[in-house]
Amino acid sequence: MEEHIISAEHLTKRYGDLLAVDDLSIGVRKGEIFGFLGPNGAGKTTTIRMLTTMTPPTSGTVSIAGHDSVREYREARGSIGVIQQHNSLDKDISVRENIVHHALMQNMKRSEIRKRVEELCGAMGLEDRMDSLVEDLSGGWKKRVSIVCSMMHRPPVLFMDEPTTGLDTQSRNALWALIKKLNGEGATIFLTTHYISEAEALCDRIGIINKGRMIALGTSDELRGRIGVVTVERQNADGTTDNAYFGGRAEAKAHMQGLPEDANVSIRRTSLEDVFLELTGRKL
Amino acid sequence: MLRLLDETMRVAYGDLCFMRRNAASVLVSSMVAPILYLVAFGYGMRSGSSEGGVDYIAFVVPGIIAISSMTAGFSSTSQKILIQRLFHSSFDELILCPVGISSIVFGKSVVGMVRGLLGSAIMLSLGLMLTDDIHLTPWLILCIMLSCFAFSMMGVMAGLLANNSQTLAMISNLVLLPMTFMCGTLFSTDSFPGPVSAAIGALPLTHSSEVLRSVALGWDFPWASLGVVAAYCAAFFLADYRLIKKGRY
Repeated sequence: MEEHIISAEHLTKRYGDLLAVDDLSIGVRKGEIFGFLGPNGAGKTTTIRMLTTMTPPTSGTVSIAGHDSVREYREARGSIGVIQQHNSLDKDISVRENIVHHALMQNMKRSEIRKRVEELCGAMGLEDRMDSLVEDLSGGWKKRVSIVCSMMHRPPVLFMDEPTTGLDTQSRNALWALIKKLNGEGATIFLTTHYISEAEALCDRIGIINKGRMIALGTSDELRGRIGVVTVERQNADGTTDNAYFGGRAEAKAHMQGLPEDANVSIRRTSLEDVFLELTGRKL
Repeated sequence: MLRLLDETMRVAYGDLCFMRRNAASVLVSSMVAPILYLVAFGYGMRSGSSEGGVDYIAFVVPGIIAISSMTAGFSSTSQKILIQRLFHSSFDELILCPVGISSIVFGKSVVGMVRGLLGSAIMLSLGLMLTDDIHLTPWLILCIMLSCFAFSMMGVMAGLLANNSQTLAMISNLVLLPMTFMCGTLFSTDSFPGPVSAAIGALPLTHSSEVLRSVALGWDFPWASLGVVAAYCAAFFLADYRLIKKGRY
């Protein structure tokens, strides 16, 4: 049986009449980068809040590093680091105070905190900003501080909720490199994102959620294979496009030969964007 | 117990850093309201009179200490939590850490306790300088701490429940302000009609003020009032605990 460091079984969350997450099960393997995609309102944030113990599920169970998220919430929380969608730092205190506070909350000893602060802040280039108020930092620097906070206690699992949203290209590339580095050092990463390219570049496997249900799960190649790895895209006169998907180039070319000669068609590799659009009926 | 205390102080660290950074403004704002009450009531409206068999200054100082414990304890905790929940999203960070819910509740009340104790200490110092009738005893300090704790716990609850700063302002105007003037802090409530007196008797500031005044002036100790303040502490704590446990914040 596969070893899942994050395991959710039949997870459901209701808010009154609204069914935000519907019988969702996920197993994330130790050491992988797992991408979690879904349109706005699909249930991504509610799912991540349940996986990180912040919101109790209406029904179903979550286990993190072998700890039940409700009965053993302290142990589960000690095993995770969370980088939230919006910077969740205390903006009224300094970078150093935020980091130390976070480490104290993780029950770290002061001597250990000092060493770890030097190590992580050096790696993230934060040395010169340690005594700045968080309020005075740009979005990219705040994100770096959030990452340091989440990594202080060396968690085996990192949750990143749309970590690159709002960052410039340079900061985004730096964060991608960091995510790969952390994963290379053994961290399992659960990543939600709005950017298909991000999921393709970083994730070993991708789950797609729509209307609270997991509708597809697999590697990017497996997901492409679900609709066809080759796409024939036809541009219509009214500006719309029609896509047809095929298992191979030969089938696609045969299809193209059947089209009128003046049709504006192109052939290309199916993208995750195509998969997403086909499965959810919506663009990401 | 030691673990709870340790975790409580870990939770409170961030708020205490903020307070240290803003020490001057915290100190000034803690002094203004109590001194105004003292000047307006002690030297303005009731100058030279007596109340409850003692000089009015001796009567009113414990009442103002009770008011300070309420306003400082409530406001500093409720506003800090509201900001951290709604504007900084940093309250979620506390929930994500491996500390007990009790530690979060106690830890978030520390800032209110400190502010309340600061305001109370300023007023007590003034009272000791102005009259010989007030006695500083360990019991008085414990009772002030209990009062600060009760209202800080109430502030935690308001901070968890409020959805905007307007709600907190409304609580201040509809709950704290009437309590300030009606709970026997600044004058005796003996002349109030029966039903009003009964309603006032159910409010925490009435009992907090009663306890502090009796201890400060060496009167018979009102054990029932102490019990009521302790019951409010327990009720507010349980409400705070439940709100966090159920994720209703």
